[in-house]
Amino acid sequence: MRNRSVLVLLAVALAAAVALTALYRGARLLSPVSGTPRKVVVIFKTVDFPLNPFWANVRDGVASAGQDFGIAVSVRGPAVETDVPGQIGIVREAIREKPDAIVLAAADYNLSVPTAREVKSHGIPLVCIDSFISSDDADVRIGTDSYEGGQKCAAALLRYVRPGDLVAIMSYVKGSSTAIDRESGVRNVLGGKVRLLDTLYSNGDADLAYAQAARLIGRTPDLRGVVALNDPTARGAARALDESGKGASIALIGFDNSLLVLHYVERGIIRDTVVQKPFNMGYLGVKIALELIERRRPPRFINTGSVDISRSNMFQPENQKLLFPVSEGP
Amino acid sequence: MKIRRIQDTLIRAFAALIVVALLLLGTLSYYYLHKILIQNAEETTTQLVSQLNRIIENYIRYMDDIALMAVSNEDVRAFIDNPRSDTPRLRDKIESTFESIRAVRRDIDSVFVITRDGRAIAATTGGALNPTVELKKRFLELEAGVVPDRPSVSSAHVENLVDYRYPWVISLVRTLPAGPAGESLGLIQVDLNYEIIARLCKDVQLGESGYVFILGRTGDIVYHPRQQLIYGNLKSEDIPRILSFSGGNLKTVVDGRDILYTVVSSRETGWEVVAVSYLDELFRASREAEYVFLMLSLLVLAGAVGAGVLISSRISRPIESLRRAMQAVESGNFDIDITVAARNEIYQLARDCDIAVKKVKDLIAQNREEQELKRKLELRSLQAQINPHFLYNTLDSIIWMIELGETDRAIDMTSSLARFFRIGISRGEETISVSTEIEYVQTYLEIQKQRYKDKLSYEIDFAPELHGLQILKLLIQPLVENAIYHGIKNIEGPGLIRITGERHGESMVIRISDNGVGMAPDQLVALRDGLIEPRPANGVGVRNVQERIHVYFGLEYGVSFESAPGAGTVATIRIPVMAGSTA
Repeated sequence: MRNRSVLVLLAVALAAAVALTALYRGARLLSPVSGTPRKVVVIFKTVDFPLNPFWANVRDGVASAGQDFGIAVSVRGPAVETDVPGQIGIVREAIREKPDAIVLAAADYNLSVPTAREVKSHGIPLVCIDSFISSDDADVRIGTDSYEGGQKCAAALLRYVRPGDLVAIMSYVKGSSTAIDRESGVRNVLGGKVRLLDTLYSNGDADLAYAQAARLIGRTPDLRGVVALNDPTARGAARALDESGKGASIALIGFDNSLLVLHYVERGIIRDTVVQKPFNMGYLGVKIALELIERRRPPRFINTGSVDISRSNMFQPENQKLLFPVSEGP
Repeated sequence: MKIRRIQDTLIRAFAALIVVALLLLGTLSYYYLHKILIQNAEETTTQLVSQLNRIIENYIRYMDDIALMAVSNEDVRAFIDNPRSDTPRLRDKIESTFESIRAVRRDIDSVFVITRDGRAIAATTGGALNPTVELKKRFLELEAGVVPDRPSVSSAHVENLVDYRYPWVISLVRTLPAGPAGESLGLIQVDLNYEIIARLCKDVQLGESGYVFILGRTGDIVYHPRQQLIYGNLKSEDIPRILSFSGGNLKTVVDGRDILYTVVSSRETGWEVVAVSYLDELFRASREAEYVFLMLSLLVLAGAVGAGVLISSRISRPIESLRRAMQAVESGNFDIDITVAARNEIYQLARDCDIAVKKVKDLIAQNREEQELKRKLELRSLQAQINPHFLYNTLDSIIWMIELGETDRAIDMTSSLARFFRIGISRGEETISVSTEIEYVQTYLEIQKQRYKDKLSYEIDFAPELHGLQILKLLIQPLVENAIYHGIKNIEGPGLIRITGERHGESMVIRISDNGVGMAPDQLVALRDGLIEPRPANGVGVRNVQERIHVYFGLEYGVSFESAPGAGTVATIRIPVMAGSTA
């Protein structure tokens, strides 16, 4: 009998020990405070935020998501957008830190593929935001549906021109995926309704866009519409149009929303601009990265959408935040 | 019936009791802890939000002070009322007045004066008015939202009155008192830097991810840290419920999370300042308490089971050892000491059992001794019958008779001897009928009579009722033998032996009296002693008789002697009446 009670005592002690250990571990797992938070590295095309309000807005979305979901986010990127090797180096460095996930805005559609593959080969979930890559290495792509954005530009233009009018498309980087998609969206809507001139490429340079637009306006008296497919191109074109004094007869549609572009919208030089939702890209990038870390199955592509902004709706409450972001970083 | 051990029952009861108690305690404390946590959160959040509201109201009041000051400023009035007085000098004067205020208070972004006829003065960073803004239209838009003599406060918005600047501000507008035409000619707009409000709201810490937002009078968002998410439908707030709510606390579920809205309404601005606390974060504090409670519970449970084991083993161990002892007794082992290591009723029980067992043991031993004694005595009584002297003498007598040719007598004597022994050996039974005993004694006396001739005569007189009763066999003959050898043999004249039997109540009294030499007192004493202790001088027979009577019937029965020298001897046998056996 004595043996039995000793056995019972031992069993109880053992059970208590096991239960306590389980509880302790459980409590640690349950509480994000005590455990080390998830680490997500977010790599932009550029981190020169004062010059790139778009990316500042993406950063705010990233920071908000980090706060909302208790994730340690680290935002990095090269100083200038064109520094593709610089971004590749930053991705490699991030891989070495073994984060729980990487969110990447690819600097180049093709050149960024090998680094993306490297990220995957280290078993790190990869989310691409804004700018994607030619391979399907990204687990999830989050960004504006560029084709749809192009369609919106064209639809806006059709409100100002008549069928058969002469219209020019001013694109930015020839071969850039978003440029191709935006242009085909525009052509999809305009095709057969207006006469389209050969597409011009500004290489994303506002000055070159200005020169191209000035020449185009000067040489083409019956030009009635211009679609400029990114922000610097729209700025350049707007300046040329403003100086030509033909703002009333030529409808200019832009893309994105730098303050300068918005100012031209307010003045009516740029009739409409299609704006993206960078904050949501950043926010969803981190949120979806967390879903991947937690092995849930988010959709492969998330369209953050775009909005057609004109002088009449730019100060509506729901658009003010989109157009004039207030930095909300913690 | 299934036998359950006391220990198991006790442990089970202990564990069940503790588990129930802990469950009850746990549920109650969980419930109250959560209730208290929510109460605390409600109180502290209400305080925080009220405080925030007061600070915001102070800002608004301060803006209104500026607006009021501007409204009563004579230069401003002149500028508004009379377009002809609108000179660069007056504008400079008014601007510098506002600039001195802006210089002191950085939180004031701009002060504007706008007139019905579309003129304006801007005291602001940058300076130039936005040419795309139609001031007449703007005046009418702003006037529409204002009650005369009352300030109107806008939601957060982008101000585009200044060229190339799009600051986020909150605007307070006051119209000037109506002029002679019955309508106000001008208004003052004071813009507060939105960053101020945003920072104030952001500085309120509500758990890990709780936050504060502000709703305007119509449910429009004045400030929300995740405004873009709300417009992008990535996040929502239950605005209709907040608006239908007159301040206080509201528990609800938004975006799949349990939240607590704490709403404070501002009378000054008409805003609702709303704090959002996440309940799971509130309860995270209680998780630690729950953890500690669970740990304690397990310890208490373990302790209780342990105590149960100890206590019950203390109770049941003595019982168990007592049970084992009794089992041993059952199986025939009486040679144990029943003691238990306890100081309670069980100890007493064990002691009583011990005493009982010891008594049983004694009784058994006594019984066994008696049995042995009986067997020994019987054997001895048999031996006594086969008194060799008696046999030699008898056989000698028979030989003599045969030599003398007294064949008939020899035959009688031989047959008497044969009958004597037959009864004596008598089928090994302990008792015989009184009549058989009498016959036996008679046979013996007949044989002796052959030897002693006329020197011996006898009388046997038993009450007839006694004949059918049973008697311990061979009781009388040894005494008769004693009477012959020690009494009659030594006297000159004829000896007489009288044997009588009577019933005295439940006793049978048999007397064997002789008229022999009798005994001197010291001889009598020696004889009596000889009945107790064996003496070689006495015949074994007499003592055997005495012992057998004692063994069978107890000490109150037995043989006694009365004698005096020359007066013969009387031996009295006293035994209980035994009903005749059917055999």
